[in-house]
Amino acid sequence: MNFQIPIGPQHPALKEPISLRMTVDGEVITDVDIRLGYNHRGLEKLAEEKTWLQNIYLTERICGICSHSHSSCFVQGVEKLMELTPPRRGLYIRYLVSELERVHSHLLWLGVAGHEAGFDSFFMYTWRDREVVMDLLEMISGNRVHYAMNTLGGVRRDLDEGQKARILEGVAILRKRSEYYFHIGASEPSFVARIAGVGLLSKEQAVSLCAVGPVARASGVARDVRKEDPYAVYDELDFELCTADTCDVLGRVVVRVKELLQSYRMIEQMVKGLPDGDIVVKAPRKAKPGEVVSRYEAPRGENIHYIKANGSDKPERLKVRAPTLGNYAATLVMLRKGFIADIPLIFAAIDPCICCAERTVTLVKAGSGEESVVRMSDLRRRAIARHQNAPVKRNAVWPL
Amino acid sequence: MAVVRTVLYLVVYPGLLFLFVYSTFCEWFDRKVYARFQNRMGPTHTGRFGVLQPIADFFKLMAKEDVVPDAADKRLFSVLPVIGLAVVSTAGLLLPVWNFDLANPGWTSFSGDIIVILYLLSLPTLILFLAAWSSTNLFSTIGGARVLTMLFGYEVPLFLAVLSPAILADSWRLAEIAAFYQAKPLLLLTNILGFFIALVAVQAKLERTPFDIPHAETEIVGGTFTEYSGKKLALFRLTFDIEMVVASGLLAAVFLGGFPGGAVVGFIHFVVKTLFIIFLLSLLRALTSRIRIDQVVSFAWKYLAPLAVLQLLATILLKGLIT
Amino acid sequence: MKIAAFLPELLRHLFKKPATVDYPFKKLEVPKDFRGTPFLNPDMCIVCRACERDCPAEAIEITSVNEAEKRFRMIIHNDRCIHCAQCVDSCPTTPKAMQIDSLFEIASDDRHKLKKDWVYVRAVLKPKAPAPAAPPPAAEPKI
Repeated sequence: MNFQIPIGPQHPALKEPISLRMTVDGEVITDVDIRLGYNHRGLEKLAEEKTWLQNIYLTERICGICSHSHSSCFVQGVEKLMELTPPRRGLYIRYLVSELERVHSHLLWLGVAGHEAGFDSFFMYTWRDREVVMDLLEMISGNRVHYAMNTLGGVRRDLDEGQKARILEGVAILRKRSEYYFHIGASEPSFVARIAGVGLLSKEQAVSLCAVGPVARASGVARDVRKEDPYAVYDELDFELCTADTCDVLGRVVVRVKELLQSYRMIEQMVKGLPDGDIVVKAPRKAKPGEVVSRYEAPRGENIHYIKANGSDKPERLKVRAPTLGNYAATLVMLRKGFIADIPLIFAAIDPCICCAERTVTLVKAGSGEESVVRMSDLRRRAIARHQNAPVKRNAVWPL
Repeated sequence: MAVVRTVLYLVVYPGLLFLFVYSTFCEWFDRKVYARFQNRMGPTHTGRFGVLQPIADFFKLMAKEDVVPDAADKRLFSVLPVIGLAVVSTAGLLLPVWNFDLANPGWTSFSGDIIVILYLLSLPTLILFLAAWSSTNLFSTIGGARVLTMLFGYEVPLFLAVLSPAILADSWRLAEIAAFYQAKPLLLLTNILGFFIALVAVQAKLERTPFDIPHAETEIVGGTFTEYSGKKLALFRLTFDIEMVVASGLLAAVFLGGFPGGAVVGFIHFVVKTLFIIFLLSLLRALTSRIRIDQVVSFAWKYLAPLAVLQLLATILLKGLIT
Repeated sequence: MKIAAFLPELLRHLFKKPATVDYPFKKLEVPKDFRGTPFLNPDMCIVCRACERDCPAEAIEITSVNEAEKRFRMIIHNDRCIHCAQCVDSCPTTPKAMQIDSLFEIASDDRHKLKKDWVYVRAVLKPKAPAPAAPPPAAEPKI
C-alpha cells in the first residue's frame, strides 16, 4: 500500500495548522512534503506601521508560549539602536522572567510529548506543576501569558521581598518535581520504548541542516547563544550547557529536563543576587538610522530579529527568524524512514511553534518554477475565480 | 406468558436496558477513577457526582448529525454498529450471574458457553475491521489494519489464560466453573498468573491504553471511527462499554470465583467484582503510554504467550496431582 | 527498566484532593497588580492623549464634545483592548487618571456592549513641586 497521508492542516497531533504530506508504504514513511503558510498574519508588515513602544506588544504576540523571548529579542535590538543602557536591576528582572518562561515552556513540552505518546498521566502531572510557574509569573507581571514586562530601557514592574521569597519557594517545589519527571521519563518502559531510537539526527546532519536549540543539543552539537554570545546578564551567571549524545527523541527529553534544572539554578542566583537601583531609563521616541541583529536563546532555540531604523518613530523593517523555522529542514530528514506511529512524537520533539515561523509566502509556478509575491486580495480573487470555473466532479479522488 | 417473560428478559433484565444502565455506570466509574489517578476531578456536575455523564454523552451523540461519506459502502457502514451492539449484548446474556441455579439452568447456560462467549467477544474486532474498510478513508484503513494486527497478538494469550481455570475445573460451562471455585476457593490462587495475562489481553481487546493503537487520536485521527458520527458513533461507543462489562464479568466468573448466593447476593457479587476488575483496568490505563503496533505483537509473542502456556502447563500438572 | 515505575505515585493520588478548582462554583484569587480592564478616573484627566497615542490596539478614543467648555469624551473599546496596561504607564498625572482593575470575567455576546465611555471636563492640575513620581517610559506628553 503506497499512498499519501495528509497530516494537517487539521490534525489532533498538531496544535497549529501545518501541512505535512507523508508518502507511506505500509507503516513506513518514504517521503515528506511540508507546506507552511496557514497561520500567516502579516506581522512584519504590521510592525512597520506601529511605533517602537507599540511594537513591543506586537512582537510579544507572535507566539503565546515564547512571547517574552520575542519581546526581549526585539527590545534588546531597539535599545542597541537607541544606544540605551538599561540599569542592572531592570536587566536582571527581564532575564529572570526569561528563565521562568523557559521553565514554563519546557514543562508544557514535557506534557505535550507525553500526550502525543499516549501517556496522559504524565501530561496531567506536568501541566499541574506548570501552574506553579504560571502563578509566579502572574504575581510578577500581572498576567499568566503575555507578561508585558519589557519596555524600552528596562522593565515595567519591580520585585519586592515577598515576591522574591515566593519565587524561591516555587522553584524549590518545582525542582523536586522535575527530578521526579526525569526519573519517570527515562525509566517508564512503555514510554522509553516509544521515544528511544526514534527521530535520529546525527551530529553532521544537525550542523548541516542548521538545527537549533534542544534538537541540535540532543545530537551533541554544543551551541547555546547564552554561552557563545552572552547578552546582558548571562556572563555573570553560573550554569552549564546541556547536551546529550543519543540523537533521538529521548535525548531531546533529557536535554530539556537538564535545561529545566539549570534554569532553576539561574533563577535562584538571579533572585538572591538582584542588584539595587532603578528598573528603567527614559527612552527617546525616535531611533537613529541604523540596523541591528539581535540574537536570543528562546526555549526552542536561537531567535533572531533583524531591525532596521530610518530615524523616525516607526521601524523601517522587522524580520523575525523564529527557531522553529530553522528546525523544519531537520524535521524532514528525521521523519523519513520512520513509522507512522512516530510522526506525532518526532514532530512534537522539535517543539514546534508554527505560528512563530510563519513569514512571507511566495507563489511558485509549478511548471516554470518562477516565484512571485502576491497580495492577499489578489490571491483571494484568483481562488474564487478558480473555484467558480472548476467543474464539479462526483466520486473524484480529491488531491489532498 | 413465557413469551412475555422472554421478551422482558431480553430487553429489560439482563438484556439491553440493564446492560445500557450498568455499562454507563461502569464507564462513569472508569472515568472517575482515571481522573483521580491524574489528580483531576472527572465528571462532577451531571447528576450526583457526575453519574449521568456517560448517559448524557450517549444522548448528545444520538442527537448529532449523521454523515455517511459518499464513497463508503452505505449499507455495510450503517448496519455494522447495530450488529456490534447485538453481538456484545448476546455475550452479556451468557454470564453466569442470572442463571445461578445449577440444577435449573435455562437456555443461557450450557456446556461450552465459555467458548461461545469468547467467540462472541472476538466478533467486535472483525466488525471494527469491516467498519474501517467500508469507510474508505485513509486513516480508517490504517486503523483497520492495526486492529487485525493486534488481534494476532492478544487473542491466543487470552484464550489460553481463560481456558486454564476451565481445565482445572473440568468443565466448559461457566456456571459449573464458578461453582467449582466457590467450593474450593484456595485453588483460585493457582490462576493468578493467568489472571494478570487475561487482564492485559482484555485491555488490548477493549483498545485502551497501552493498546489504543487502532484509534490513536494523535496519530490517525480516529482510526476506525474517523468517519462515524451521530447515532452510529453512539452505538459503537455503547458497544465498547458493554464489551468492557462483559469481559470483566467473564474474568470475574472464571478467576474470581463467580457470583454465588442466589439472585440478590449474586448480583452484589457481580457488581463488586466487575468494579474491581474495571479498577485494575483503569490503573493499567493510567500507568502506561501507548506502544507501537510492532511492539505490541513482539510483546505479546515474547512475553504474554509463553507465560500463558506456562500457566496452562501448571494447571495441567496440578490437575494431575489433584485427581 | 522498571515495570510500573509510576505506580506508587498514581496510587498516592487516589487519596489526594484533586488539583482542579471547581470554577465557576469556586473562584480563584487574582494577585495584586493583576492586569484586568482599564478604566478612567475623569477628575484627573488632563487630555494629554498619551494613552491614545501609545495604545498598541487603538482601543482608546478621545473626542471633543464641546470646545468652549473643554468637555471631552473618552471611549475605551474593551473589545480591542489587549490588557497590556501601557495606557496606565503612559499617563503622566499623579494619582493616575488611567487605571486598571482586576476584572477578568468580562465576556459578552455582543462586542459593542464592551465599550465604556466617559464625558468630562478637562482637569486643571495645580502646579506642584517637582516630585520624583514614577515617570512613564514614553516621551513627554504634549498638551
